Amino acid sequence: MSNASKVVVVTSGKGGVGKTTTSANIATGIALQGKKVVAIDFDVGLRNLDLVMGCERRVVYDFVNVIRNEAKLNQALIRDKRVETLYVLPASQTRDKDALDAEGVGRVISELKEQGFDYIICDSPAGIEKGAQMAMYFADEAIVVTNPEVSSVRDSDRVLGLLSAKTSRAEVGGTPIRTHLLLTRYSPAMVKKGEMLSVGDVLELLGIPLLGVIPESKAVLQSSNKGTPAILDETTDVAQAYLDVVFRYLGEERQHRFIEEQKRGFFGRLFG
Amino acid sequence: MPSLRVASRAKPEARRPEPFELKGTMASFTVLRLKSTDLELVEEQLRLKTAQLPSLFLDAPVLIDLAPLGDEVAALPLGEVARLVRACQMVPVAVAHIPDQLRAAAVEAGLGIWRGPISTRVRAGAEPSSAIARTTAPDSAHGTPAPTLPTQHAGPVVVTTPVRGGQVVYAQNNDLVILAPVNPGAQVIADGHLHVYAPMRGRGVAGAQGLPGARIFCQKLEAELLAISGAYLMADEIPASARGRAAQVYLEAGECRVQLL
Repeated sequence: MSNASKVVVVTSGKGGVGKTTTSANIATGIALQGKKVVAIDFDVGLRNLDLVMGCERRVVYDFVNVIRNEAKLNQALIRDKRVETLYVLPASQTRDKDALDAEGVGRVISELKEQGFDYIICDSPAGIEKGAQMAMYFADEAIVVTNPEVSSVRDSDRVLGLLSAKTSRAEVGGTPIRTHLLLTRYSPAMVKKGEMLSVGDVLELLGIPLLGVIPESKAVLQSSNKGTPAILDETTDVAQAYLDVVFRYLGEERQHRFIEEQKRGFFGRLFG
Repeated sequence: MPSLRVASRAKPEARRPEPFELKGTMASFTVLRLKSTDLELVEEQLRLKTAQLPSLFLDAPVLIDLAPLGDEVAALPLGEVARLVRACQMVPVAVAHIPDQLRAAAVEAGLGIWRGPISTRVRAGAEPSSAIARTTAPDSAHGTPAPTLPTQHAGPVVVTTPVRGGQVVYAQNNDLVILAPVNPGAQVIADGHLHVYAPMRGRGVAGAQGLPGARIFCQKLEAELLAISGAYLMADEIPASARGRAAQVYLEAGECRVQLL
């Protein structure tokens, strides 16, 4: 089982670009396909993921408790009420990022692998310090969340550098982490007016494959306040975009050719 | 990785002569990562290695990294290590990852204590069975190790992966050829010429240790800053006509000139 598990870090460098929203939606979307998924909140001290996923009232033990052997993993894992195969491992609100250490994080991740989780989604805190480095350290893949503006793109570039150097895979010298770009809060109308970077501008600078584009939408704020990931309400454009992303992501696992066609189709729709 | 960055970015100006000059160059050390306490073996192999490329190793400052030794380090005669490094015509300057009980021995052997970060990345398979390993290409204290680092080759350094913001690539005593984008916030530095056959959006330095004949060649010049042998050109000083175009930069009468290619 354990080698089938995939550790995916959702990261960005910059804050407020949509990492937690993306973690919640992608974790939910993958779980909807019947995969066993856990989303871990690495933002120790500023926990949010449990709120966005609507399980904040059921938090008893957290990630740091497990790292410090104060609680068993199963005591801290919260099972989602809507999607059976979805779990959340919440962050501690009372500690800080120093509570995370590579040994403890590694132990929790291997235990999750042993429990047969197919996907372990690590929701990274902003910044490039310890919390963010711990979130990316054990990753097999990274989803780099970027907004179409210069500072966000530059921070993502910095994070891509760290992903290629400061992770377990980089240190062992194995296959590098696979990186995917997710462009969020995208507004084609603003791009047209020249007020926002285009997909092409961002891709030119970052040079990694595009996993998807999530449009700017009020639905994100509403769903986050409700504690229901947007992807669960299929009528919104955000849900459709995240569903596309999930299928594309899972498709990439199976067939590379398919993903290229998908991408072209997506581009066609975007620019057509 | 150990490095010293003396950051004085000021252009040399026609003021009264200064008694010294601070340049924006990077000092790099050869790192001797000790993997064995069998010092006879180490000395034998180190002699072989240095004999292969005497120009690179002669009088080179050496940082001795004890990390790979683990618990074996306790039995290490540091004075003997320093002696063997000197016997190989190199200059031991400091020890890294040293346990407290060996500190006195280090000071006695004339070695400093290195507390900065050292990249332990050595290209996989570079020296599979050797008792020593060598890394070059330093990295600023807060930087990220470069995606491609030279390990022991004397030829020009060729980088084929993007150099991203915060990363530093340094070609010591050599030309640097980059075949992928250099992004904003990245630094690419060569003691010789610098070639970037892709968009150049970061900071580029040629002739870093002082070589007025060094040049910078960019396929698409969008740099934040360019420098040759200590003379600087900031982004605003790069002529608009050359922005985004293929261009070379060279020194003329102590000033950087940009010429379209």
